[in-house]
Amino acid sequence: MKPIRYQRHPELRLTALEGEGVVLHLKERRYFTVNETGLALLEALKEPRTVEELVAGLLAEYEVTPESAKATTEAFLKQCTDAAVVLERPE
Amino acid sequence: MTDQLTTPLRVESNDAGLAELVKAWLVESRMPLPPEVQLSLIVTDQVPKPDDPRPSFFQAGVEVRAGEPLDWVHLQWQLAPAMARIDAGGPTATIFLSRDAFADAELFVRTFLMIVVIFLGRRAGRFHLHAGTAVDPSGRGWLLTGNTGSGKSTTVALLASRGWQIGTDDVAFLTDSNRRAAVLGIRVPIALRPGGRALLAHHSGKGMPLTRRGKTGFFAEELGGRWLASVEPELLLFAELGNGRTRLTPMEPTEVMRVLMQSSPWVLFETTAAQEHLDLLARLARQARCFRAQLAADLFEAPGALQDFLP
Repeated sequence: MKPIRYQRHPELRLTALEGEGVVLHLKERRYFTVNETGLALLEALKEPRTVEELVAGLLAEYEVTPESAKATTEAFLKQCTDAAVVLERPE
Repeated sequence: MTDQLTTPLRVESNDAGLAELVKAWLVESRMPLPPEVQLSLIVTDQVPKPDDPRPSFFQAGVEVRAGEPLDWVHLQWQLAPAMARIDAGGPTATIFLSRDAFADAELFVRTFLMIVVIFLGRRAGRFHLHAGTAVDPSGRGWLLTGNTGSGKSTTVALLASRGWQIGTDDVAFLTDSNRRAAVLGIRVPIALRPGGRALLAHHSGKGMPLTRRGKTGFFAEELGGRWLASVEPELLLFAELGNGRTRLTPMEPTEVMRVLMQSSPWVLFETTAAQEHLDLLARLARQARCFRAQLAADLFEAPGALQDFLP
């Protein structure tokens, strides 16, 4: 079975501010903030990505263990898919 | 001051009087729109209704339909028959309106036409911000934002009376200026409620009655200041009325963004240029020292006005 790919909602807009990210969800007309890691993940999710690809991106950018990067990524994706900020993409 | 009735942008109408009225407003207010902006006004007894399934929201008596899945914006005025369509992609708009709609010219331009201009501006890199701006005697740019009734206009009038340069007390446009966030003002009278006017009684002259709004208007020059077109804010204040003493408290960056988005809500309502708008708000938050400002009567006694309260 192919791994699930994720992609951020097409109506999201992001900007960085003092180590955080400000995110607009234009479809829902709301905004929220994410931490630096969340911003890095949402930036990577401009294109469809698997969990493994996202984890590899975090490991390349931050000094974290693979276990920690995977746990952070999965928790973030769960939160974001529940809020329709990130969508599961069919192959 | 006398202006020739020419605007950098193109205004066309099948009613010569209406075209002159709109051009005069754009010229006299120094509306900061670039030449590529085009505005067509069609006077008709049959104002079309937009065939537009998108949900609407209301702003200052105007019903707005914007955002996906369509690229253009439809505006319908609630006070008189008038409808505007702002085109996708380019800074061009067509307004269909009855003669009744501009019988009260001041109301028409201040409410409906202003919102048309706000959407046109977005397509030309000018992003509306509900704020006042000023430059202090040492050349520092200040931006004052805050909810309606928070004291912005009264404070701007006070600053004018202290000789500061004034950009605007209410309607501003955020834009890029060589990778800095600049705020363009329009030249209209600073509108004071009776309470604000009383606080400035010894500074202000007669002013002009803004009867419908229950306010009195003063140009910066009448108060001792001078108007200027553009301010690059180095200090940003979120104003609110306080009791006791005036106090400036530093704000966290994310709180600043929340306040700026409340002052510039169009960032959330249209996909066109949303990224550019958001990036400019963040740039403004980065380039300015930001404070929550509790404004009190002692501000009027301080020789340096707001400068005296900087921590």
